[in-house]
Amino acid sequence: MKKQVIPGCVLFILALAASVGSVSFLGPCVHEDGSVGACHWAGRSLLGTGLLAAMLALLAVLFRMARLGLYLGSFLACVLGILTPGTLISLCKMSTMHCRAVMQPAMTVLFAAAALCALFGAAACIREKKGRA
Amino acid sequence: MKILPLSVKNLARKPGRTTALVLLTAFLALAVFGGSVITLSLRAGLRSLEARLGADIILVPSEAESKVSFRNMFLQGTTGAFYMDASVAEKALEVPGVEKAAPQTFLASLKADCCSVKIQVIGIDPSRDFTVQPWIARSLKNELGDMEVAVGCKVGAGIGETIRIYEQRCKVTACLEPTGTGLDTAVYCNMKTMDTLLAAAEAKGVSHRISSGDDSVVSAVYIKVRDGYDIGDVNTALTGKLRKVTAVRTRSMLTGVSDSLAGISRTVTAMIVVIWVLAFVILLLAYTLIVRERSREFAVLRLLGASRNMLGRMALYESAVCGLIGGIAGTGIAAVGVFSFSALIEGSLGLPYLIPGFSTILCLAAGTILLSVAVSALTSAFAAWRLSRVNPGTALRDGA
Repeated sequence: MKKQVIPGCVLFILALAASVGSVSFLGPCVHEDGSVGACHWAGRSLLGTGLLAAMLALLAVLFRMARLGLYLGSFLACVLGILTPGTLISLCKMSTMHCRAVMQPAMTVLFAAAALCALFGAAACIREKKGRA
Repeated sequence: MKILPLSVKNLARKPGRTTALVLLTAFLALAVFGGSVITLSLRAGLRSLEARLGADIILVPSEAESKVSFRNMFLQGTTGAFYMDASVAEKALEVPGVEKAAPQTFLASLKADCCSVKIQVIGIDPSRDFTVQPWIARSLKNELGDMEVAVGCKVGAGIGETIRIYEQRCKVTACLEPTGTGLDTAVYCNMKTMDTLLAAAEAKGVSHRISSGDDSVVSAVYIKVRDGYDIGDVNTALTGKLRKVTAVRTRSMLTGVSDSLAGISRTVTAMIVVIWVLAFVILLLAYTLIVRERSREFAVLRLLGASRNMLGRMALYESAVCGLIGGIAGTGIAAVGVFSFSALIEGSLGLPYLIPGFSTILCLAAGTILLSVAVSALTSAFAAWRLSRVNPGTALRDGA
């Protein structure tokens, strides 16, 4: 039981940090002239993806039923979070810009760690099911 | 009987203790690998800056230092533009001891296509340039043509792409190798292209004209001093001959960078040493405490026929496996942090920062992991010796 819940809690914290960070301290910079670049929308997309992963993790912690499916769902959301900045939504070209120097690596690290937690949680669920069978 | 699998099973049976030991060695490896990569990158950056500057003296207009920190232009890629009469290069060549004089013209773009930031455009004379041209030549076989640009590695425009500067379309013909300096964020073109860009900037209200109203301007002249001449004497002669011009010795600029780098290196090294001493003491204490906890377990093994040598090796193997796992984990975490956030680290330090090559990193990682294993084994050696000499009778009676 503990082995299935702990990864969910860690996943929830990481995904929440990613979503909050993507529109605050880890997010893209504000342009001097007030214009909005693609990196701004990448940040908004990450907010949604992070919240989705966090909510799935919370449901996996609270409800025993369909825990495996919820973990797999949050894993896919984390993969989407990794791919969003730079691959699915382009960022600024200059590598010294905040979106490239901070947001992209931070999101990759946070979502990769969250994806690992989701996999651990899923593996624990599979092991438990095999044990019961 | 194979000891290593037994040691691994022992570790797996006590997950709490194993995790604590692994975390401690991981912390050690993280400090060593991360600190070493940062220090090596700073040193490589300084060497790169030395190679890129190449000149002994740089002539800039007197007001240059008040307009923009000349040092920051090289180190952080700060944009800036200042101008002086183009004849300064010819006048400088008349000074005894001046071997070469290469002019450069700077222009800060309003807003680049790629981002919302200004980029520095540097115009060079390929026939006379001895600082940037050799670097460009490594990426571009031909000379830079008209309305062609070479971009620093951080500009993010690919070869064949077109970038717009003051509404002028320039074709990217080369992407330069990284230098770890502010030069990586600049765009380079020939003087003819620069004249076109200056005219376009003038039309946009960004004036480059100097007080004399002369249109033929340069921003800096790089001076190479002839062998046998004292750089200080040539510097004084240049200052005396050229009016409204400041002669900056590159050595003094590099010394400032070098001093900052030495300070950071000392701090990083001191931190690594403190972390290592602390962790060494903690590991030593942990393994000493483990002797008390495990004396009954080893007494039972002795009664079952395990030799002293076998028990000692088992304890050593356990600590070595902890060191190996911790070393790999710590090095991995440090690698993720240092390489993913290299742009952020570079920006925060404000110094030339060039990550060493793959082979150096690989050697450093292997060395760190080996060091973690060695330190774990060393700190547990005394505990292993004590455990191998445990008296089964006394241990079982006392523990009962």
